[in-house]
Amino acid sequence: MTRFQSPFVRICWYLSLAILAVPFVFPFLWMLSGAVKSQTEIFSPSLSLLPQTWHWENYAEVFRYQPFARQYFNSLYIAVVVTAGSLFISSLAGYALARIRFAGSGLLLLMLISALMMPEEVTIIPNFFLMKWLGLMNTHMPLILLPMFGSQGVMATFLMRQYFTALPPELEEAARMDGLSRFGIFWKVALPLSRPALAAVGIITFLFSWNLFLEPLVFLSDIELFTLPLALSNFTDAYGLPLWHLQMAATSLAVVPILIVYIAAQRQIVESFALSGVKG
Amino acid sequence: MAELTLSGVCKTFGSLQVIRDVDLQIEDGEFVVFVGPSGCGKSTLLRCISGLVDITGGTLEIGGQRMNDVPAAKRGVAMVFQSYALYPHLRVRENMGFGLKVRKLSKPEIDRRVEEAARTLKLESLLDRFPRELSGGQRQRVAIGRAIVGNPEVFLFDEPLSNLDAELRVHMRAEIAALHKRLGNTMIYVTHDQIEAMTLADKIVVLRDGQVEQVGSPRDLYYRPANAFVAQFIGSPKMNLFEASGLPADILQTARPSAAAIRAGLRPEDMQVLGAGEGPVSGRVVNNEYTGAGSLLHLDLDGLGRCLALYNGGDSPEEGAEISVGFDTGRLYWFDAQEQNTEVA
Ligand SMILES: Nc1ncnc2c1ncn2[C@@H]1O[C@H](COP(=O)(O)OP(=O)(O)O)[C@@H](O)[C@H]1O
Ligand SMILES: [Mg+2]
Repeated sequence: MTRFQSPFVRICWYLSLAILAVPFVFPFLWMLSGAVKSQTEIFSPSLSLLPQTWHWENYAEVFRYQPFARQYFNSLYIAVVVTAGSLFISSLAGYALARIRFAGSGLLLLMLISALMMPEEVTIIPNFFLMKWLGLMNTHMPLILLPMFGSQGVMATFLMRQYFTALPPELEEAARMDGLSRFGIFWKVALPLSRPALAAVGIITFLFSWNLFLEPLVFLSDIELFTLPLALSNFTDAYGLPLWHLQMAATSLAVVPILIVYIAAQRQIVESFALSGVKG
Repeated sequence: MAELTLSGVCKTFGSLQVIRDVDLQIEDGEFVVFVGPSGCGKSTLLRCISGLVDITGGTLEIGGQRMNDVPAAKRGVAMVFQSYALYPHLRVRENMGFGLKVRKLSKPEIDRRVEEAARTLKLESLLDRFPRELSGGQRQRVAIGRAIVGNPEVFLFDEPLSNLDAELRVHMRAEIAALHKRLGNTMIYVTHDQIEAMTLADKIVVLRDGQVEQVGSPRDLYYRPANAFVAQFIGSPKMNLFEASGLPADILQTARPSAAAIRAGLRPEDMQVLGAGEGPVSGRVVNNEYTGAGSLLHLDLDGLGRCLALYNGGDSPEEGAEISVGFDTGRLYWFDAQEQNTEVA
């Protein structure tokens, strides 16, 4: 879009973007800087991003304070399982809702959409009793099952359904003429064409799982089982006050997968846009 | 052998009857065009034949075998879609070989067939491109290539040229005609463009509201239209219709139409435009559309109303000019109260 604009206009663009970036980038840098400061220096009146003395040992302390590596792994494997499971379920269910006519499909869609409006705080109590009845307290199962089958899973299904609905039906008819079964059409035509939607669903699901706080708080009591958001709130001193330097060091470690997802997905999204630029 | 027989074919969507009791015989190797106004059921009838849509009544036979319940891929037909429907995520080569791969042909056999089709359609240099890297005409050829590789008995085309610009349309029309000559397969072609229908068809099927109005060669339909609808649909600009009672008595006497005839039809190319007072009916020019080789005149005739006339030659009368017209009585068509042509049984 900016390709044909004059250099002056372009400089103005970059300048305003740079200014806009400050409120987004500064807290991030502040976190990185706080991670290598002492607790006292964080609260010193100088707002310098560079510490006077570098406290790299903060990072080591994070792992000594609680089983942080184990907690990190918990978060990671749960997010991967939830993402993979959600992609599997939402793509199949979304395709069925978009393309297969079956009795009650309209009603089912309506019920799913109304489930979207329900905040998880509303359902946490019945879910608590459900998980207790299933004997899943103090396990990771609630953290896997609730995002996959709860409102996050519904959102994923709905997104996939919308995307499948918008694919040209003639493509699938061509595939039928070529002899593919219903599942073959889904697998070889609809799914490869849905990479942008799969990427979007994958990213939001991963982030949702990664950031989940209420469910771990409610369902987990064993510190070995904690996931990162809960673990981060657990860096406190004897009086329950936050140890800011440890929290910042731990948080800078916790954002790494998110950055990786964004960088990886960015390429995928651009690629997918090029792909969907084809009009049949 | 791939002759098609449709007997009493019906299709309803819910309570909406789209195809009504269609009987049709299509010979092996024939080029048949379904033509009709938008929404008359041409695509639906084609889809009934392809198997993408199940027919709700009657029988469909291809090559003498009942096909009502045979899945689309097993009917020996291939379809070219209006939007081309190329798989955007596959290269041209994979697009064309896709159906063969589904049918589990060997890799060398697929390659051989794809390359042969590519040679026929001059696509060799494009085989490793993606559809998005092709022009409209090239995509069209790939879509045809995808149909060819399966060696179908019958080709089905659903308005394959309507997304192309006018020049390319004429070019591809000629290519499709040449392809039919070379392959000799049965082809069924849907269009709403009567020029495409006239130029391509061995046999035209005119449809209206899901019913067959007339079946015949282009010449048949032009010279012997069964009714006023066909008469007006075939030929461009469309045929003028006049109330017979408005015509001068001596014309009626010379032409001697049957007693049932209440309306007369005359094609714009058969209207003789003369100077004021020279012909039996006088009138004036409302509009003059200059087309280079001639002009399309919009006339307002006394007692007969508005009509169109083609005028060949450069010295056409101006807008507002007083003129008169002559009628070649041999070129008049006569229609009764049911719009049927009184001279065609
Ligand atoms: N899948 C469908 N469901 C309901 N109505 C349909 C469907 N397909 C076509 N129709 C209806 O059938 C009629 C004929 O459609 P179509 O065969 O596409 O016409 P054409 O190709 O001659 O323009 C239209 O009124 C259209 O709305
Ligand atoms: Mg159509």
